This record gives sequence, structure tokens and C-alpha cells, in this order.
Amino acid sequence: MSQNREKEHIGKAFARVWRSNPLFSTGMALLVLVVLQTISMGFDYASFGEWFSRFLSNWLNILLNNSYVGMIALGMTFVIISGGIDLAVGSTLVAVGAAVMVLVNEQATGVLAGMGITGVPAVLIAVVIGLLLGLLLGELNGVTITKGRVPPFIVTLGTMKIFRSVTQYFMQSQPGITLPDGFKQIARAVRAPVLNSMLLPIFYWLLLAAVLHVVSKHTAFGRYVYAVGSNERTTRLSGINVDRVKRRVYALMGLIVAMASVVQIARIGSMDYASAGSGYEMDAIAAVVIGGTSMSGGRGSIVGTLLGTLIIAVMNNLLTLVGVDPFLREAFKGAIVVAAVLMQRKESSN
Amino acid sequence: MPNAAYKLEMRGICKQFDHNVVLKGVDFCLKPGEIHALIGENGAGKSTLMNILGGVLRADAGEIVLDGQPVHFAGPADSLRAGIAFIHQELNLVNDLAIYENMFIGRELRKGWKLDAAEMCRRSREVFERIGLDIDPRRMVRDLDASYKQIVEIARALLQEARIIIMDEPTTSLTEVEIARVFDMMRTLSAQGVSIVFISHKLKEVLSVCHCYTVLRDGQMVAHGETRGATTEQLAYHMVGHDVRVEKLQVEKRLGAPVLEAKDVSCEPWFRRISFCVRAGEILGFTGLLGDGRSELFQALFGALGRYEGAVELEGKPVRIANTTRALELGIGYVPRNRKENGIVRDLSILENGSLVTLDRFQRGPLLDHGAIRRAFDVQRRDLHIKMGDESDLITSLSGGNQQKVVLAKWLTAGPKVLIFDNPTQGVDVGAKEEIYDIILRLAQQGVAIVILSSEAQEIIRLCDRALVMYHGAIAGELDYTQMDETVMMHMATSGEPAAQ
Repeated sequence: MSQNREKEHIGKAFARVWRSNPLFSTGMALLVLVVLQTISMGFDYASFGEWFSRFLSNWLNILLNNSYVGMIALGMTFVIISGGIDLAVGSTLVAVGAAVMVLVNEQATGVLAGMGITGVPAVLIAVVIGLLLGLLLGELNGVTITKGRVPPFIVTLGTMKIFRSVTQYFMQSQPGITLPDGFKQIARAVRAPVLNSMLLPIFYWLLLAAVLHVVSKHTAFGRYVYAVGSNERTTRLSGINVDRVKRRVYALMGLIVAMASVVQIARIGSMDYASAGSGYEMDAIAAVVIGGTSMSGGRGSIVGTLLGTLIIAVMNNLLTLVGVDPFLREAFKGAIVVAAVLMQRKESSN
Repeated sequence: MPNAAYKLEMRGICKQFDHNVVLKGVDFCLKPGEIHALIGENGAGKSTLMNILGGVLRADAGEIVLDGQPVHFAGPADSLRAGIAFIHQELNLVNDLAIYENMFIGRELRKGWKLDAAEMCRRSREVFERIGLDIDPRRMVRDLDASYKQIVEIARALLQEARIIIMDEPTTSLTEVEIARVFDMMRTLSAQGVSIVFISHKLKEVLSVCHCYTVLRDGQMVAHGETRGATTEQLAYHMVGHDVRVEKLQVEKRLGAPVLEAKDVSCEPWFRRISFCVRAGEILGFTGLLGDGRSELFQALFGALGRYEGAVELEGKPVRIANTTRALELGIGYVPRNRKENGIVRDLSILENGSLVTLDRFQRGPLLDHGAIRRAFDVQRRDLHIKMGDESDLITSLSGGNQQKVVLAKWLTAGPKVLIFDNPTQGVDVGAKEEIYDIILRLAQQGVAIVILSSEAQEIIRLCDRALVMYHGAIAGELDYTQMDETVMMHMATSGEPAAQ
């Protein structure tokens, strides 16, 4: 009898946590995927050590491959919570990447090399200028949105086209580019001892998540972002400079994209201006939405986005391990986005 | 024991949202053909109780007995099937469809593959006839006035064979004539044996149209009985739990230096050449009809309109208020009208709503000092007697009056020199209203300059030391508190001329 009651008690507590913490179900979904993924790796190994190193290298690969989109999704979380959207992230990535590469190019045609600046100073200058450029392009979006009163979707749809096309125009006549080793170290310096896998991009991503989590919960700016997304009028009538909050959100987005860009070219060593970063905006938005952030603004979290990014990543990995045709993988991604929103809808109506 | 004389019995209904207990074992009974008033302050639990009856919410405990049979409603559709129709305050009609289309929306009649408009019109007319209404069902809902829309909703309920109709404050947006029309309709239905639950704040209406009343206070039934022989004072007493004050609240005081002074301020098309001055400790009223420009005037002076012409002085120094941030820096506060759209942020907690204005003053380095924010809000919570569950609950878990107090709290933490109240007691019940008046008087005593915008004459008369009456964007005249009188003010507000005395 009392055991029954206890069972009921646990059931109720579980239901309460499920309802009160929107991330709970997201976390559970991720857990299920991770279990499936682990099982599908198989257990046919010579030793535990072999299995473990396989397990570890698989995870490092997942994290490494998703670090750029993961970073961009973090910035996108702020944008979407503020009630906006940024479609220009992929093109901003290319624009910043091109600028950094032209600056840091080792050959005589490189801008900094031509000025006689090489080594550490050249890398530092190129990175700083790249980050500033990202900030500036984001700010450009923000200013157009707030001053021009144009919807973010339209503004960033426009700049998405502009940034990439202008970059491609300028880069078509650029001779070959060689990146100095010092620059590549940004992504490649620290490696996992056993598998020789790069660790820094993962580290940047997780560090950024931690910082942005604190910003979203524990700074005035972070709270204003939520307030603006939930009720812009009330926020303005509370003496808050709504336009400045929005401009900062897009500038921050630009800055984060610039970081992702620097890390990506440092890792890969080159960039295809026509295709790099394309589709990142949709991948980032998908991660944000799966993480429980409301597309209408006002609700969401950085932790949720982190989980959302991992859900997509682990699912992709699972599909590869199981041997699903690559052409079909995008369909799974699409289905999971819709399923996540359906589930959140159900929860909030409870 | 179920009593056959009752159409409906609700027994021991309990309901709790988060930490907020809204209903504590409420009983509510309804006889056939009875018009039953359900009254109480905001937050007393009226809407929650009726939402349970309408199947929108589920009770935590208690039973509902309909025609002697216990029933359970899993959703609004269940309740409707049992013959209970809920007519909400915001009407549920599609403006761009004809009346008959609205009557049959979701349950359209068909003849073969196409809609049977003729039959739907005929059946609509049948219902209209039953309630003595002469109106063409082919007319567009858009062209109807508010009372006919209300009546179309009632007719739709009858078409669905409702035997109990719940009407949530049906008269708030109606004129006198329209109200009379809806009341006639209610009496006709009652004669036909339909029971009506009438939720209202207007006690005079309750006495004129209802047979009996039930009063809720703090989630409990505190009084019920027949309206015959009852007085509005009695009802108000039950609602508030103490006598309602009508006395003037002004006190003799020495006013301080001028705080906010406007000289020939204009902003077309809303208002032009407005000059006034409000002093420290003074309560200055602005009144007039709807659309007289007073709201826009003070939005402009708060920087929310973004533009105005003319000169503004704050404490004798000329200032330019370009945006709301500047207004806040200067010490101007603004408690807006329409709390839902302008006052609260619904995705944020009580605490965050209550500290939104001053958030950037509570920083330690780059981070917020949550402890200090909580302490500052706790002071306001105690001073303003905010009734709430946990401070991390959403603002929407509070009643209207308490939400308004949280909006007040966010401005009081900022310590403004001048505080503008636009319709401060809109949608707030009698008890909370008096509390808000007390708060305003206390602020004035502390030397804050107060501006009150209200179209409620009694509010201006009871509270303000001085009142300006506006008419079509200009000031029609000025009254000090000895001259204030409802008819004089109404005359100025409707004619634009100072009253001949």
C-alpha cells in the first residue's frame, strides 16, 4: 500500500520536473540518442581499451565537427530570444574568413606580409581585425533593423546575399594563399594525447557557451534580451533603450560568427568562398529551436541550445553508424525539428 | 445530497496555480431559469471557477453535479456538449464572416458537397425568433455594434442547445442602450428556463438584472442570497470585506518647488499648445473623454512618442526628452495604461518584472547582484502588500490588481521625482483600487510630483489637488479640488468650454 503511494509519489515528482523544467525532455531525448549511438558502435573489440579509444575518438570528432555551428547557434539563441532572426551568419563567416586570410597570407601578396609584418604580430592583427569586421557587419544588420524599422528576416536575407557576393567578387582575382603555421595553431595547438585530435575548437565552443550562459542569466543586457523579445513595448516604457539592446544582439552575433570563422580556417587551412558557411544559418536555427527557444521570442536558454546542437550531432553520427544513406540524413534532421516543437507545444499547453 | 431543484451544483471546488491557491472549497448552485451574479474583486477566483465549469481548467478537488448527475469535463467541448456555453469577455466571432456563418462555424450544414446557406439562415432565424430578435443572418458581423455581437454569441449558444450560459463581464464595452438590449435578452432567456451566470464588477447592473448573487473573496464564498432587498453597499462590503470609502482623500499640505513644467508643448495631430506645471507633493489630475490626447501628451513627455515641440523644464532646468531612457535618467516615471500590452512582460518572473526599470543599477562588476535586487523588491512587496506566491513565479500567475502593484513597484524602486499614472486602476477591483490610492497619497507626501490621467471622474475628484480637463488635444479648463464636480468636469470635457457657474 505504502509502496504504491511511494510509486505514485515518484511518478508525480517526475511529471512535475518534466513540466517545470523545459530542458528536462530535451536532455532525456539526448540521453536516449547517446545510448542508441553507443549501442550501434558495437561491442566487438579486442579489449576495453580499444573500445574506449574508439568511443573517445568518435565523440571528439562529433564535438570538433559541430564546434563552428555550435558557436553560431549560441549567438543565434540571443537573436531569436530577442524576437529576431539572422540569416546572414554563413555569409558573414565567409566575409570575415576572406579578410583574415588576405591579411595573414604568408606570401608576398599578403597584406601584412607586404607591409613587413610577420609572425605573432601578424596573426594577432589579422584576428583582431577579423573579429572587428564581424562585429561591424553584425552592427550593420542591427542598425538597419532598428533605425530603418525593417524586419530582421528581410534585412539579413539581403545582407546574406550581399556579404557573400561581394566577398566572391573581391576574392576571384586573389592569387593563392598560404596560411602561416602560427595562425593554424589557433585551432591545432593542443591535441588529445592518444588520438592526435584537435581540442581547441571544442574548448572555444564550450568556453563561449559558459560565458554566454552567464551573460544571459546574470547581466542586465541578458535579461533585457528576454524582455525585448517578450514585450518590446513594456520594455521601452520601462526606460530601457530597446534599439541599443537589439543592435548589441546582432553585433554579438557578428562577433561570434567571426570567432567561428577564424577557428574554421585555422583548422582547415583554406576556405571555399562559394560554399563555406552556407546552410549554417538553418543548422543554427534548428539547434536553437530543438533546444526549446521560442521562435516568437522571450523564452529560451543557452543550455538548451547546447543540448539542441548535440542532439543533431549525435543523431547524425548515429545515422552514419547505422549506415543510413547520406541523402536521407537531412530528412531526419527536419523531422526532429518538427517533433521537438510539437513536444514543446504539448508541454506548454499542460 | 444532490438537490433536484438545482440545475447545477458545484461543491467544494479547489484550485491551485503554482504556489497560488485560487479556490478554497467553493460551493456554487444554480437553479433553472435563474440569472445569477458572480461577483468579487479581481483575483477572488471568479474566472477560475467559471473556467472549471466551462471545461477550460480542471479542479484539483470538488465535484460538479448537473441535473442531479455528477459530471467530469475534460475540455471545453465536453462542457459545451453538456449544455454549458461560456461567452468570454473578448468575443469569439469572425468579423469577416456573415452572422449565420459564425453561428455554424465548425459545424456547417452541407447539401451534398456544398454548404447549405439557406438552411443555416433558416435555423439562425428560428433561434432569433425565439429570443425576439429581428436581424438578417446574412449581415456581416463586422457591421454589428458590440451588443448585437454579444447577442449573436448568445444565439450561437442557444443553437447549440445551451441550458447554462456564462457571461464574463459582458457590459464593459457596451453603451447604456446596448446594455439595456443585452439585459432584455437575458430576461427573455431566463423566462424560457435558461440559466445565466453573470460575472460583473458593476453592482448596479447586478441588482437590476440578476435574481441572486454569490460573492467570492480570496477563493472562498463569503455571501450569497437574493438580490431583492440587497444594496450595492452591502455587495461592495462583501466583496472588499470592509466598508468602501467615498470620501475625498486630499489633505492640506504645503507644495514644494515646481518639478515638471511644460510650456506650449505640441505634437500634431494629438495635442497642441499645452502648458502646465506640477509641483513636488502635488497630485495633478488630467481628465477628459477617450481620445482627448492626454495619454499621448504624457507619452510624449516620457519620450515614448519620440517627438514633440515646445519647451519642457525639470526642476527649473530646460530638458529635451528624446526617449524613455532619457526620461528615466531625468527622474520621470510612467505607469502606463493597458497593463497587459504596456505594463508587464509575460515571460518574465514577478521579481524580474518588478525590477526591470532599475536592473542596471544593481550590478557588481558586469554581473547582476541578485541579492540586492531581491532585497529592493522585498521592500516594495511589503509596502504595497503584493499578494503573491514565489517571486520566481511568472507575473501572469498574479491577479490584475497585484500585477498592477508589481508595475508600480518597478517604478518606485527607481525613486522618480515625478510619476505619471495613466489609468492606474483600470481593471483593478475595489479593494486594490483603495490600496493604490493610498500608495499615491503616500508618494505625494514624500514629495513626489504626481500626475494622474483618468476618465473616471470620481478618481480625479477624490484624489487630485488640482485637475486639468482636456478637450480635443487642448486644455479646456482648470479646477482646484474645491471646485471639482462630476457635472462640471463632464461639461468641460464634452464642450471644451469652462462651465458657467
